[in-house]
Amino acid sequence: MGLFGTREMRILILGLDGAGKTTILYRLQVGEVVTTIPTIGFNVETVTYKNLKFQVWDLGGQTSIRPYWRCYYSNTDAVIYVVDSSDRDRMGISKSELVAMLEEEELKKAILVVFANKQDMDQAMTPTEVANALGLPALKDRKWQIFRTSATKGWWIP
Amino acid sequence: MYTLLSGLYKYVFQKDEYCVLILGLDNAGKTTFLEQTKTKFSKNYKGMNLSKITTTVGLNIGTIDVGKARLMFWDLGGQEELQSLWDKYYAESHGIIYVIDSTDEERLSESKEAFEKMISSDVLEGVPLLVLANKQDVPNCLSVPDIKTAFSDSAPKIGKRDCLVQPCTALTGDGVNEGIEWMVKCVVRNIHRPPRQKDIT
Repeated sequence: MGLFGTREMRILILGLDGAGKTTILYRLQVGEVVTTIPTIGFNVETVTYKNLKFQVWDLGGQTSIRPYWRCYYSNTDAVIYVVDSSDRDRMGISKSELVAMLEEEELKKAILVVFANKQDMDQAMTPTEVANALGLPALKDRKWQIFRTSATKGWWIP
Repeated sequence: MYTLLSGLYKYVFQKDEYCVLILGLDNAGKTTFLEQTKTKFSKNYKGMNLSKITTTVGLNIGTIDVGKARLMFWDLGGQEELQSLWDKYYAESHGIIYVIDSTDEERLSESKEAFEKMISSDVLEGVPLLVLANKQDVPNCLSVPDIKTAFSDSAPKIGKRDCLVQPCTALTGDGVNEGIEWMVKCVVRNIHRPPRQKDIT
């Protein structure tokens, strides 16, 4: 902390159930695809990249447990919002969860990274389509970036 | 008495807020220009390492104060696919900064195409336009006259709005001050797009 040593950055991975949050967390941490089950509660891991340390929280995305996301908002530096790009039907729900989340005072300073995930699927929406569907162009006072990802295939393209 | 004092308070502390879009093809130097601007115009701002800037695939933001004006920048990704997001910001923009990579002669026509599409938008009519001929530090790059010639047939579309082509090197900061000061002057005098007013908190 402070002048000596580095502060751990706190990152939340959020998104609807089945978006691929847990797969992404373990991709980041161990670099492998792990078999996951729906997360009830959370997974937390420390990820080191170069000389930076990240404390990454992966919170369960099912409807009934989404209200608990807010308990984890304080001191968050960045939010990784994961979207299943092939799930066109639930894009609207994904958008309203995102909008509600970004309105929270505690997340005012957090930067937003969107992973348009499952890009290996044939029917996947392009990152621009995902950005529009989520209403990202309406965000005028927050830094955001979108990446096309496939957590299972292991690629990330800016 | 209260009205008088609150009026005075507002007069002293209120800032007129203007939104400025930074556009151009990918790798033109938009984000570097924004970081350089933030470094030059805000005290205490510790800029990021300019050599570490990567492709923007979304939005970067920045705010600077110049006199009574507060400029809020939106730096958008320039890749072809992301250009479709540009027009979502037009209605709220008070000024446009269009960045051209003066070393990339091959993509100049592509840049011109994106430029024409942008200035043809009705929503942007009358909005001041600053064109930056960036990367002027590289030997044998296109000069301002070269770029003006290449863009000459866009003139009717530019129309009567304020327009300046400014040579610049975002990496070293050359031309950044001149460009920003010109932009401030233009957005302030453009009565067709009044600023958003915000109290300083």
